[in-house]
Amino acid sequence: MSASLDKGVRVLKEIIDAPIASYFSSCVHCGLCAEACLFYTETGDPKYTPIHKLEPLRRIYDQEYTLLGRLAKLVGLSKPVTDAELAEWQELVYNSCTLCGRCSVVCPVGNDIAYMVRKIREGMSASGNAPDGLKGAVTRTVNIGSPMGIKLPAVKAQMKHVEADYGIAIPLDQEGAEYLVMLSSMEIINFPEYLGAIAKIMRHAGKTWTLCSEAFEATNAGMQIGNSDLARVIVKRIVDGAEKLKVKTVISPECGHAYTALRWEGANLIGRPFGFKVQHIIEVLEEFRLAGLLKTEGMETDRLTFHDPCQLARRGGVIQPQRNLMAMIAKDFHEMPDAGFMNWCCGGGGGASAIEEGEELRLEAFKKKKSQLDAVKPKRLVTACANCRIVIEEGLEHYQMNVPVVGLTETIAEHLPDSVGNE
Amino acid sequence: MTISNDKEFKAALTKLDDGERRRVATLLVQQVFDLSGDPRVKGGLELAGRADVGSAELAVAAAGVNTARVESYTQCGRDTDWAAQASHFVARAAQECVRPVVDLAAAWEAAMQARMARMCKTLTAGEGTDNREAEAQYQTLDAFLKAKGSGS
Repeated sequence: MSASLDKGVRVLKEIIDAPIASYFSSCVHCGLCAEACLFYTETGDPKYTPIHKLEPLRRIYDQEYTLLGRLAKLVGLSKPVTDAELAEWQELVYNSCTLCGRCSVVCPVGNDIAYMVRKIREGMSASGNAPDGLKGAVTRTVNIGSPMGIKLPAVKAQMKHVEADYGIAIPLDQEGAEYLVMLSSMEIINFPEYLGAIAKIMRHAGKTWTLCSEAFEATNAGMQIGNSDLARVIVKRIVDGAEKLKVKTVISPECGHAYTALRWEGANLIGRPFGFKVQHIIEVLEEFRLAGLLKTEGMETDRLTFHDPCQLARRGGVIQPQRNLMAMIAKDFHEMPDAGFMNWCCGGGGGASAIEEGEELRLEAFKKKKSQLDAVKPKRLVTACANCRIVIEEGLEHYQMNVPVVGLTETIAEHLPDSVGNE
Repeated sequence: MTISNDKEFKAALTKLDDGERRRVATLLVQQVFDLSGDPRVKGGLELAGRADVGSAELAVAAAGVNTARVESYTQCGRDTDWAAQASHFVARAAQECVRPVVDLAAAWEAAMQARMARMCKTLTAGEGTDNREAEAQYQTLDAFLKAKGSGS
């Protein structure tokens, strides 16, 4: 057994906790998880059955923690997990799983398969079987602080650009602000208009806010690759920044796993409650709406639909707020089939879009999203996740579908007074 | 009048008709085209720069420019290549030039995306946040207005 395999198997043994043990014991091999997974439904390949993605972990569970499994191992009747097998499983555990959780919610015995895939990634990562794309993201996170290599000068350049575009100052390191706004690398690099929209909305709502020079990055590469220690470091950086600035609420941006990491797992990762609230930007906008702080003007008149990001809607429970916000500005809104809680994933979350060799599979899986859009025929699609936007745009481009994709936060901002920019 | 700030820049853009705004926007994007080099963007800008461009031609150009824009996104988790990202913003800027109608918002957006492209270049060169593209754009619009005023 190689040193890396030894390490990987050791980690896989360690991550088998009570939930995972009960999930393996409970699985009735019904295959319902397969029908919930777009990688299976669009390829027809049974290897993409979600529970099958956990086969190495299941064998270790059997061999280590069940009587019959231990006996079989003792007499040489069970197959040990090998280097080659883990290498083969890299595609199943990373490329063909976005941790969307659709399999978890259809499992009749309540197995949280997405949780199990998150955990098996810890062993895969420890054994060196994580994809190069994600390894690179992790290295950059450790060395630079951002999975996409974003440094503070780039953030400051963006701030300067947005200030010129919107005519609104972008606060940095303002102690005592109500909100600390986090950004994902994707917004800094690809969608600077998100920061402009935030500035406009906050000014309109009369709220104080700030960026933090020591903690501007929300993306959690540790969660994606399966490295809890790194996930913890990233969360701690944000917590330290928020506590130093004494903010009341930290806003997670339009990014999937950033929200999951901070909102739902962050306190457990660092071992203590936060001294501040964590909300997704959509939750914050909904609060503003309910408080009468968003006075929008005009309506979008073209046929619109909304793509629910998995980590926000299904995993995070934020489903109605985006619809309430859409109702403020959309005259002709139509839901996709399976919208909301059971929405189909874009196919690029959970680190999948960082894996170059997974592109062909992603585009194949995109046929599911395409079928949703074919059913509703929107003129434009609105969403609330920067990664979903790009993955969906790439899929639309591949299948030659002319459906522009826009962000909900920017769309709301465009309907606030002074939406044609600074006067 | 010599344009010296964004307020004057926008005011000057407002006074142009859509066709003139398209040509100005195109000039602004052509100023940063060296940061891209994409033939689809080049073709789109060449079409947009023509006074007699038709809607069908613009639609074809828009499809090509959109493909260039989508292909040049930096994907989540990848290492950022600011030089390559500049070409993405050039494509975004060009997209405004090939719209059916180039109103003030589109012309302003073209200008801002062109500045973003230049900003990416300054980041690549380690020059920090200094970006003189705005001044270059004021000069370009000034020259366009002067030429327009002289009837040429």
